[in-house]
Amino acid sequence: MKKVLLTLSGLMFLCLGVAMAQQTRTISGTVTMKSDGTPLPGVNIVLKGTQIGTVTDADGKYVLKVPESGGTLIFSYIGMKQEEVEIGKQNTINLGMASNTEQLNDVVVVGYGSQIKKDMTGNIASVSGKDIQNVPVPNFESAIEGRNAGVFIQQNNGKLGQAMEIRIRGASSVSASNQPLVVIDGVPVTSSNQSNSYNGTGSATNPLSDLNFADIQSINILKDASAAAIYGSRASNGVIIITTKDGQAGKTQFNVKYSQGFSSPTGKRKFMNGTQYSNYFIEAAKNAATYFNDGFDYVGYVESHFQKYSLGKWTQSNPGNYNWVDQAFNKNAGFRNVQISASGGNNKTTFYASGNYDNTSGIVIENYLQRISGRLNLEHKANDKVTIGAKINLIKTTNKRVPDDDAFSTPVQLLAQPPIQPIRDSQGNYISDNSLYFNGLLYKQNASFPVNSFHTYANTYAQYNITQHLMYRSEFGLDLYDQNEQRWFGSAVARNTGYGNGDALQTWDRVVNYTLNNYAEYSNTFNSVHDIDATAGISYQRSNQTQSYVEGVSYPSDQFRQIISAAQITGGNTQETAFSFLSYFARANYKYKSRYLLSLSGRIDGSSRFGKNHRYGFFPAASAGWIINQERFLKNSSFISFLKLRASYGITGNAAGISNFAPLGLYQAIGYGGIPGTSPTQIQNPDLKWEQTAQTDIGIDYGFFDQRINGSVDYYFKKTKDLLLNVNVPATSGFTTQIRNVGKLQNKGFEFVINTVNLLGKFFWSTNFNFSANQNKITNLNGQIITGGFINRAMEGQPIGVFYAQQFAGANPANGDALYYLNRTPTQQEISDGTAFKVKNMYGGKYVTNNYDAAQRVVLGNPNPKFTAGLTNNFSYKGFDLSFMFYMVYGNKIYNGGGAYMSASGNYFDNQTIDQLNAWQKAGDVTMVPQARLFASNGTGDSSRYLDDGTYLRLKNLTLSYSLPKRLLGKLNGMRQVKLFMTGQNLLTFTKYKGFDPEVNTDYLAGNISLGNDFYAAPQARTISFGINLGF
Amino acid sequence: MKSNHIANRFVTKRHMNMNRLRIPLMLILSLVLSFSGCDKYLNIQPQDTINQSLALNSARDVENALVGAYSNLGDQYLWGGQLMMEPDLLAATNELTWGGTYQGPRDVFTKNIHVNNGYVASMWEQAYKTINVCNNVLASINKISDSTTKATVQGEAEFIRGSLYFELVKLWGKTYTDGDPNGNMGVPIVLTPTTIITSQNNVSRSSVANVYKQVIKDLNDAKAKLPTSNGFFATTYSASAILSRVYLMMGDYQNALTEANRIIQSGQFSLVKNYMDEFNNGSNTTEDIFDMQVTSQTGINDLHTFYASSSAGDIPNPSRGDITMTQPFMSLFSSTDTRSQQFYLSVDGVSYYTHKYDNPFSNVIVARLAEMYLTRAECNYRLGSSVGATPVADVNKIRERAGLQDLTSITSVDQILTERKKELAFEGHFLEEIKRTHGSVGSIPWNSTKLIFPIPQREMDANKNLVQNNGY
Repeated sequence: MKKVLLTLSGLMFLCLGVAMAQQTRTISGTVTMKSDGTPLPGVNIVLKGTQIGTVTDADGKYVLKVPESGGTLIFSYIGMKQEEVEIGKQNTINLGMASNTEQLNDVVVVGYGSQIKKDMTGNIASVSGKDIQNVPVPNFESAIEGRNAGVFIQQNNGKLGQAMEIRIRGASSVSASNQPLVVIDGVPVTSSNQSNSYNGTGSATNPLSDLNFADIQSINILKDASAAAIYGSRASNGVIIITTKDGQAGKTQFNVKYSQGFSSPTGKRKFMNGTQYSNYFIEAAKNAATYFNDGFDYVGYVESHFQKYSLGKWTQSNPGNYNWVDQAFNKNAGFRNVQISASGGNNKTTFYASGNYDNTSGIVIENYLQRISGRLNLEHKANDKVTIGAKINLIKTTNKRVPDDDAFSTPVQLLAQPPIQPIRDSQGNYISDNSLYFNGLLYKQNASFPVNSFHTYANTYAQYNITQHLMYRSEFGLDLYDQNEQRWFGSAVARNTGYGNGDALQTWDRVVNYTLNNYAEYSNTFNSVHDIDATAGISYQRSNQTQSYVEGVSYPSDQFRQIISAAQITGGNTQETAFSFLSYFARANYKYKSRYLLSLSGRIDGSSRFGKNHRYGFFPAASAGWIINQERFLKNSSFISFLKLRASYGITGNAAGISNFAPLGLYQAIGYGGIPGTSPTQIQNPDLKWEQTAQTDIGIDYGFFDQRINGSVDYYFKKTKDLLLNVNVPATSGFTTQIRNVGKLQNKGFEFVINTVNLLGKFFWSTNFNFSANQNKITNLNGQIITGGFINRAMEGQPIGVFYAQQFAGANPANGDALYYLNRTPTQQEISDGTAFKVKNMYGGKYVTNNYDAAQRVVLGNPNPKFTAGLTNNFSYKGFDLSFMFYMVYGNKIYNGGGAYMSASGNYFDNQTIDQLNAWQKAGDVTMVPQARLFASNGTGDSSRYLDDGTYLRLKNLTLSYSLPKRLLGKLNGMRQVKLFMTGQNLLTFTKYKGFDPEVNTDYLAGNISLGNDFYAAPQARTISFGINLGF
Repeated sequence: MKSNHIANRFVTKRHMNMNRLRIPLMLILSLVLSFSGCDKYLNIQPQDTINQSLALNSARDVENALVGAYSNLGDQYLWGGQLMMEPDLLAATNELTWGGTYQGPRDVFTKNIHVNNGYVASMWEQAYKTINVCNNVLASINKISDSTTKATVQGEAEFIRGSLYFELVKLWGKTYTDGDPNGNMGVPIVLTPTTIITSQNNVSRSSVANVYKQVIKDLNDAKAKLPTSNGFFATTYSASAILSRVYLMMGDYQNALTEANRIIQSGQFSLVKNYMDEFNNGSNTTEDIFDMQVTSQTGINDLHTFYASSSAGDIPNPSRGDITMTQPFMSLFSSTDTRSQQFYLSVDGVSYYTHKYDNPFSNVIVARLAEMYLTRAECNYRLGSSVGATPVADVNKIRERAGLQDLTSITSVDQILTERKKELAFEGHFLEEIKRTHGSVGSIPWNSTKLIFPIPQREMDANKNLVQNNGY
């Protein structure tokens, strides 16, 4: 019935149109696909500025009556480039439409300028703001996860506002930063952790999570040396250039978007229930009594502790069962987001203004992120030569943080509590003194940790077009970050904090980071065949950071939470640090006959971080390209629409992430009993300089069938030398490490991107696929071994962060002891005393031992994936759009550092993972789980027992949307767009990993070497959201 | 990415005008020039720390460095607590139980120490860090012109260095009286400050005997140079107290007696009236010979961290309560022994704790007078002498304070050793008592490799000249 009405109303419009047009004439024609001439049915044809329109029939033919005066016809069709055709005197208008899958003439933002995509000789991955507009995640990095080849992005855990791990073409450093430089609207911004070290948490936060990514026009990721070397000493880890939206001249367009989502954990690890736990630990106690044979009553000990934990309720037949795992998670997790924007202006002045409110409740309890932001981007053409503009973004963020993954109070550690232990006591209060571990649920009412930050990105610029060919641009950008952390512990959490009468701590951090860029660009064409584009300029950046904190303990009651009420001020300080860069850069692009490309760039960077010996560094790059399809022999190919061969080589540097005063020998002030003193903190190294990466890239950009199939293939080879390493030195020197330029590493990789339009027509289907494989290898560490995480290492001949420990062999079938492969030749003594032995038909004939320390440590696995791949499919039919994206991470290993507690053969009272029920029971049992033995540490040393395969395939995103058809919108007064959408994030995960979630790196350890570790890490969020987008 | 302000910059056609070009070119030029004095934009000095070239130039600087040595000595991994706690855990069978979750101390308690034990590594690293600070002080000592100050500062640095080498050789080397100390591996000896790292820093282990020689040299020198009173810093008696322990470990009862007697007879120290008054004090008591100072601002009492219980209602500053007392040990105390007042049952009704470390901001006692009475008693008894007092008189002095009846005579050295065990419980003496008296830890004999710390794996990896202890 509805459909009939709709059709009728459509007809009425048509009739009206006819009735109103006194004098009409008829236009007809055929619309085809430009590439192969096939007719296109269903193409929308509208007379500009009117409601007059039609669609093509099955043969691509159309007939349309238009007023005698004519006008302009707009041809639009999903997946094709929209065309406007002036009617003039024509009565027949045939049109060949081109697909808009890959716009070769797109402009890509590069460092200090922009370039036409088809003329680029460097490798730049791009994401349009439009592609990620409905992804229900709180930060842009998560939104682009898996969308680009060579860009690996991982969220360490499912907590909000936490740091992200971003690796562009692998890790190029061991001790300095591996994170890319982030440039927003021309200004390098503060992207590193700003969590104050005095706040008691070690996990890093992410200042970029403040950015409302609805304001983003484009994200361009400079991957190879040719693209990135213009950023010189900052570019070894790649550069992410973010450009925010500009206003569009014309009628002011408003957009209002509301979305709401519901989140839950992606997965849960399985633990014992009360009965299993109770029986298992009594067995562990019996086994301990036999094992230790010391007359101690282990079973009695366990039972008395069960009495304690269960508040006297435990019996062997009815031990009780409480699900502590579920207590860690927030049943009302999700988000609400409101985005309002307006864009418009005239040919002199344009503006884009937006406001955003986002309120996200994390999947673990007591974790919230609330963001309010406003932006105004303004550009004004003062005359035909001078353009001035400003982009101002103010953001207030409140992040209610939860403790680090290694804190007893962090929600996920609740799973360690025995399942026989009630959650509440008989009075209905959370169990407190008698719980095995401190009960983190007490943090709900008795502790808080909100972090309030005020973030300003403010840029102004002026551009002077001196001549048609020469322009000069000056940019000043300020990134002002102001943060206040407020940590409070009430008296009820004293068991964990040690403060019987409460504790409050506040920190203040301010980062004033400003940049001044001045550059000129000259561009001209000579003799119609020589195109030259040259840029040169100066950049100065300075970043000052000041921090302070104060802490006070002992409050009259929990009602007093400000430090003014503290009986005792127990801590406080102020700190200041700064760095600066002064840089000179230049780039020249040359194009001959529109097909031979050459680009040279260089940058001289001066840094405050290095001493007089190595203050300045020079970072050059060269690249060349050949647009083969412009050659005569391919020019008329109907098959190949684009083919470019390109190669680049360049040198980039890195010194981010090291101390601002790394080369100096330093003394700190240190007090004793109220008397001031000093103590050395750092051993000097006056010869310190930048890490240097030389990168070669060879690539092909291709397009077939009028770009319906297009993409690129790249091979790169990055060699890094002079690694800045915290080298282990003998502690007998008084120092444990020294920072030095030693060592080399390399990354080799392959990237493949293909985009296809599979179906054109009423039903549109396109596919994007990216694949990247990176091989990291540390080639020289000067004999050093650098450790991290639980068992991670940087060691020669291996990828960064390999897991290195004893190789677990399972339970000894004879007695249930944990066995390890000896992995070396045993001594005669070890064979005769039984330390090393072989078991017939087992362990591949190798020696095993139950002496953990006797076993040789070996490389057990690699935390870095062998490859990652992303596959996106987009479908459109009438007003419906469906897209889904799969993301795969393959070949990495994950180490569960919590295994020594949660899968520990009943070593202590922690609830055990369900697999511990497969423990060795009797002689002859062949199992990977050693005998349960209380307090015996049976196999709890770090080993491959706790190492798992981390491969996963994930339905990362699925979005279904419906846009109301134009003809209906006409009835809604002034509506331009009404779009309803539904999105799912992390909907399905396929993995063999037994933990919560394979996308993990526990927050308190996460670093360059400490990779792929799980330790009570909060899982990722699975989010389903609904929204509406109104445009008018 | 359809359009962009940068991309559009050349869209409108403009005519060339050379005159108009000049002004912006001059602007560019002036900007370039303004950056020409550029190093000044790149000279940024640290604000939170100072360059080492500014650190040791005056008498005041050297004294500051000495205070830094005390601060490092009071670190949690040294006399801030772990140098007392870990040996007690290693020596414990029925005295105490480790119930905490930390793997490092648990492995020490279960006598199953791994080469990568984080506590063992931190203790090693912090000891040598502190020794380097002492070496800095000693190398710059001539910056101090006042001879009294100079002697005191030198003595204090030697006191700290000598004490730490003693602690190191006790934990990482074989007992002095176990075989030939000249043939047994001690620890590396470093006596010069580190200003730059070279292969010279890969120091080998010296013999146990050589380490003891260095310890005695440092402590004797300190004893000679240090004053009789020095605020809460080390005095000549602090050096004597550690020396008395060194000689006890060596079985040199005559010298141990001399040092203990010297302290008692100085009259500088007296037993506090009630045993429990000796503990949980924020400043030195009359009984304390040497304390590590702990305030809410500086220092740490790591014994509080692990001994103080979370589950006793009356403790104002509860902590982890990872170490609990066991019945066999508590039953050593008679019911009238006031020292048993330290024990209390937690509200869980299962675990007993000690009250010795309830206050997080109390000093960590390194040496107190009661130990000297017991040392003097033992040495006199073993030597058949009665220097200062008879053994029974000294033991009774300790018993009287504990509210116990006097002994009429001493018939076995074990009587003195048992008194010592009760008096000094949980103060870090258990292991050295077992080792020097050739006792055992349960079934593990005193000279077992299990009772010696491994050289940390990190250190083995960093210094190829080191040889690992047997058993690791």
